[in-house]
Amino acid sequence: MRGPTQILPTDRADEMLINMGPQHPATHGVLKVVIGLEGERVTRAVPHIGFLHRNHEKIEEARTYPQIITYTDRMDYVSGLQNELPFILAVEDLLGVEVPDRAKYLRVIFFELYRLASHLVWLGTGMLDFGAITPFLYTFRDRERILEIVEKTAGARMLPNYFTFGGVRRDVHPDFFKDVADFLDFFEKRLPDYYALVLDSPVFQARAVGVGVLPKERAIARGASGPVLRASGVAYDVRKAEPYDAYPEIEFEVPVREEGDVYARFWVRFKEMEESIKIIRQAIEKTPKVGPYKGKVPARMKVKGSRYRAVEISRGHLGAHVVGDGTDRPYRIKHRSPSFANLQLIPDLLVGARFADAIAILSSLDPVFGEVDR
Amino acid sequence: MSLLAEVWEAVRAIGQGMAAVNRRVGESAVTEFYPYQKPEIPPVSVQFLALIQNEDGSDRCVSCLACERACPSQVITIERKRNPAGKGFVLERFDLDFVNCMHCANCVEVCPVSAIVTVGDFEHAVYDVNMLKADKAFLDEIGRRAQVWYSPKFGVEIRKPDGSIEKAPPEMQPGGLAELLAGEEGA
Ligand code: SF4
Ligand code: SF4
Repeated sequence: MRGPTQILPTDRADEMLINMGPQHPATHGVLKVVIGLEGERVTRAVPHIGFLHRNHEKIEEARTYPQIITYTDRMDYVSGLQNELPFILAVEDLLGVEVPDRAKYLRVIFFELYRLASHLVWLGTGMLDFGAITPFLYTFRDRERILEIVEKTAGARMLPNYFTFGGVRRDVHPDFFKDVADFLDFFEKRLPDYYALVLDSPVFQARAVGVGVLPKERAIARGASGPVLRASGVAYDVRKAEPYDAYPEIEFEVPVREEGDVYARFWVRFKEMEESIKIIRQAIEKTPKVGPYKGKVPARMKVKGSRYRAVEISRGHLGAHVVGDGTDRPYRIKHRSPSFANLQLIPDLLVGARFADAIAILSSLDPVFGEVDR
Repeated sequence: MSLLAEVWEAVRAIGQGMAAVNRRVGESAVTEFYPYQKPEIPPVSVQFLALIQNEDGSDRCVSCLACERACPSQVITIERKRNPAGKGFVLERFDLDFVNCMHCANCVEVCPVSAIVTVGDFEHAVYDVNMLKADKAFLDEIGRRAQVWYSPKFGVEIRKPDGSIEKAPPEMQPGGLAELLAGEEGA
């Protein structure tokens, strides 16, 4: 059988095929890209996925609603906590659960902390792909501080299983708000260093400006989302388009850039980190100091109906479609994951680029494979 | 001229990067002396699970099977029998397969009597995977060794040196904030 993604050995004498991945250090996770090269130029690029497939949606259909939250964490493991939210929001809507104010703000704080953590991982590993090792060491140290704050309250670092129907699982540690404020002050001082090392560095700019240009129409046609889409000039952010939790009460901007090249995608993520700092600051101020952290949830969850909810995770539009048939297990769950859609851009972006730029382009897409393969 | 400008640009870029790196040279370095100095683990951290016994050595667990039902990976196996002396059930078997446990703490959340708890005891790496299939004696032993543990029902609890169990001060509790704030207002 010859599928559309299968590549036969090339019959052209001037073309060379290279299998990049699935264990190549420059592919994030287990991506395999078959790249055809003509000298330095990429003539074709076909991504192969599925090395991390775990049958997520089917497993979830065999579990009860409270059990599923644990599994949703494991999709985009770099920003673990954020993945729980679309599923929880959908089920809350179906059950008509009220979320107390304090829980809404706590969710926003954790959500944005994970955005910072995830963008730090992206920045570190992305710069590794560019051949710069120093930022990796710095970003992971800063990320460690976020994870420590999260662990103090949520009990785990990467996959905390902390959000739940009606709010969050437990109240925050007494030091939480102080820790977060301290971290933000610290991180704000760090950001100029990252600008100096990466974004403002002419060495980086020489490799990123004008590379891997993604036109607006292409980005929309392929269903791209998140920073990739916003770097191509589309101001779409689920936090603004369909606000959830406490986002309507918080002021922030959506950074957009028109160029659509690697530099623009880096720029958008950098600005997003700044916005996250602003969002967390506002949320800390507005969080009611005391109050319930969890709303009333029926003890026996019998969900009926169908609902789609989406959130803006670090990589883009993550959605969950929950169909309940009135039993304690969902009839069907479908996750719409951003990296999977963004990965379709590989042939668009890579063909015609130089091979060295191909790696830069891949790292600017920032795919996480737990979520691509599910 | 343009070549000179490019060279200058490259030198400037390197200088800018080196300056950013230099700002960090003076920062305090941290070395963890791990086996000799244990890292501090927050009391709510889910590192391992344990069964807690009462001060008199009897099981806290009332064999209600709630944890068995709540576990997403279905790794808890409980067998119970009618309590010969009095009402309720007693445990015959409580197996927990840590090989497939995800440390999600769903079981801890549903336990009505805080018998199964999370502990910060993380040194359980073993050479043989079968060693991770824990039975009741093993879980009890971890529970007896634990000095602090957490469960949503009772919060963080600590074992005093004389063996008695009590609730930890609000500084250690998640949600201790309300208590602390109330205390401040009262004072
Ligand atoms: S921690 Fe989670 S996976 Fe492990 S036994 Fe408890 S419920 Fe099951
Ligand atoms: S939920 Fe608690 S009391 Fe019930 S069987 Fe499990 S450990 Fe025992």
